[in-house]
Amino acid sequence: MASVKPLRVSDQTQLESITATMTERPWNVVVWDDPVTPMPVVVVIFRKIFGYPNNKATHLMLTVHHEGRAIVWSGPLERAQNYCVKLQVAGLLSTIEQDS
Amino acid sequence: MAARLFVRRRDGRIEVRLNDAARLLAREAFGHVLAAESDPEHDWHASLNGPIDPSHDVDDPLATLSRQHEVTSNVELAVATLHEEFLNDAEAWAWLCTLQIALRATITTKGLMTTQRLDDADEVTREYIKTLQAFLFALADVM
Repeated sequence: MASVKPLRVSDQTQLESITATMTERPWNVVVWDDPVTPMPVVVVIFRKIFGYPNNKATHLMLTVHHEGRAIVWSGPLERAQNYCVKLQVAGLLSTIEQDS
Repeated sequence: MAARLFVRRRDGRIEVRLNDAARLLAREAFGHVLAAESDPEHDWHASLNGPIDPSHDVDDPLATLSRQHEVTSNVELAVATLHEEFLNDAEAWAWLCTLQIALRATITTKGLMTTQRLDDADEVTREYIKTLQAFLFALADVM
């Protein structure tokens, strides 16, 4: 049976710091490109779900189209999950990832 | 000039100008989404249940339940209004979401995730995809 050495104070502090950083790092909602979804549909979905103005929604749609993906929102995990679900419900390919 | 499939009227309603054949195709698409949501054996089921956070093996059950509930609500509203002459904004949104799910499920299931593969697809599939895209273009135009 492996013995477990108790953490020193400096280790504990470092661990707490890492944990805090991981918790605080925002979560990104990512939308991925596909070859069939009409561009105006993506713009409508971004406007409807995020309330973005037309120019921001169009810019994000073009980023998805040209770069293959775009981060369309960043923030706390629960809200990121919620937005991701709404995008999937609207038929877009979307995932979440923690900011690196 | 091609006829417009959906028209925003002055009173805010959206007029549906689909003929019988187009409504039949929409009904089939809605029916597939409805079946796929509840039937794990359906070809489209996996497409409707993609990962939310790919870094985890299992997604938050509350998030997946919420997705299932919202997809089902939309498709049921779309089916219920299939023969309506006019749609309100919520109904049009339900149509758009459900048609878009049908479009993406079609290409995912058939492995047509690149332009090249799409070009190489059979004629029937390409026509089906083009028709769904035409519906979606027209709907987005009035939303």
